[in-house]
Amino acid sequence: MVSINYASREVICKIVYYGPGLSGKTTNLLYVHKKVPQNSRGKMISLATEADRTLYFDFLPINIGSINGFAAKFQLYTVPGQVYYNATRKLVLRGVDGLVFVADSQADKMDENIESLTNLKENLEEYGYNIDDLPIVIQYNKRDLPGILSVEELDAKLNPHAWKSFEGEAVNGRGVFDTLKMIIKLVLEKAKGASRSTSATPKETPKPAPESPTAAEKPHEPEVATPPPPVEQTEAAQSPPEPAPVRETAYDAESPPQQPEQPSLEHNAVKLESATPPVLPQETPAGQQSGPEATGVTASRPFPGSTGKIARRERRITVSDFQPASREDEMSSIPKGLSEDTAPTDHDDIAGMPSPKMAPSTRVTRKKRGFFKRLFGIK
Amino acid sequence: MSDDNLIIYEEEIEKIDSILARMLKGAEAKCALLVDKDGHLITRQGFTHSLDTTALAALLAGSFASTKEIARLVGESEFSVLFHQGKKDHIHMSLVGDRSIMVVIFDDRTTIGMVRLYAKEASSELGKVFMALKGKSQKQGPGLTDEFAASAGDKLDDIFQD
Repeated sequence: MVSINYASREVICKIVYYGPGLSGKTTNLLYVHKKVPQNSRGKMISLATEADRTLYFDFLPINIGSINGFAAKFQLYTVPGQVYYNATRKLVLRGVDGLVFVADSQADKMDENIESLTNLKENLEEYGYNIDDLPIVIQYNKRDLPGILSVEELDAKLNPHAWKSFEGEAVNGRGVFDTLKMIIKLVLEKAKGASRSTSATPKETPKPAPESPTAAEKPHEPEVATPPPPVEQTEAAQSPPEPAPVRETAYDAESPPQQPEQPSLEHNAVKLESATPPVLPQETPAGQQSGPEATGVTASRPFPGSTGKIARRERRITVSDFQPASREDEMSSIPKGLSEDTAPTDHDDIAGMPSPKMAPSTRVTRKKRGFFKRLFGIK
Repeated sequence: MSDDNLIIYEEEIEKIDSILARMLKGAEAKCALLVDKDGHLITRQGFTHSLDTTALAALLAGSFASTKEIARLVGESEFSVLFHQGKKDHIHMSLVGDRSIMVVIFDDRTTIGMVRLYAKEASSELGKVFMALKGKSQKQGPGLTDEFAASAGDKLDDIFQD
């Protein structure tokens, strides 16, 4: 279902590429990732096997920008095509808004296409979806190969529902954007049809979006709404993410210059790339927007920047709502030589919560040293 | 499906944010994300600057979904809590209502017990907010206007150029 978030001013739709194994679903996503401007897309994540066959799903978020003050975001997923991955394939279909069925045009793959299509129907029915109600576009891929069927033949066998169909050569990009544009259009039409929009005007009129901060600036944004971090926590929070598991492949063709060894997209075997910082600075949390972002909304924010948070919220959530400069700050301000007895210990006033004194991080353990020395009177 | 759009208004997000912030403060965790089961991020609190929360939300929802299938195989309907332990950072996931997942990321400054305690409390509070939201969404209806779809078409041509 389409997710509409009035607070972060986002509309998020989920589009799934379905089809038999090796029909070119991941290749479609790779082409989109390669061609879409960097500020309109997030990092592509592929949960694949060692042989680069999709194991769970590929994921590519794209942000087409601000429309009526709402950021329109589309999350593109692919499913694993092999028959025996049906359990995971079904999971990806959960909450789908639109489907692209990528069929292999080769004559000897027709059985696989039909099997996949039947499987799609079954899986949708298990979720209670009706295939006739869902926006679906069909792409006849691999038109560049020999031994392919004509579009008419393919239509006759695979397209009894008269879905919009496109010829495609995902490897060189033919038909990829046409397919994607059409499915996005159909999804939005469908969402609009489902909506009864008269009563749902947003609380605030959208503001014009100012130029978004550059990638270099964003990490230094002041944080008004976040708790004052203890030193060690700040370091942890700002360090690059841990390396991803080997099977998680991050595709990033236009990543920052500090990765000169970046391989091309065609060789989609970059492992552990997500150990480097993501291409774009991370989203500023919806509830934590501040500084330049607080005033602006969404339009030109690089993906995955969240939509601008309204200034009104910023006033409501203040530093004082969060963890007061309490325990860690107090404790860190105590000279190391001081004993526990002199340190402030009364923190029971924090939001009426039971004191989290027992948390090991804050407990000052007093070690009883020299027990035997005292016992035996040894100086 | 499309008739069942997830619509969240500012008022609810403020409530949700304050519940998450209180939970973070109590449990001394690093950050919390609220993700719906389809993989969309609803909101987040705490230190999420170094995280690609969009991808994280999709992956966490996928991870949660796969354990649901595992649960079914062993005769459970669903696992309500999931815990990933790392060297430094750990992730605690718990079910909120019937369509959301609360994710708490924490490190060794606190303990799993503390996180569980506060997460359980927050989870039941969030459940109430979502129940209220459900009724409200049905009453008010979603808000995608005609212009939205039309303007999106123009944008698509700009972005998707071969």
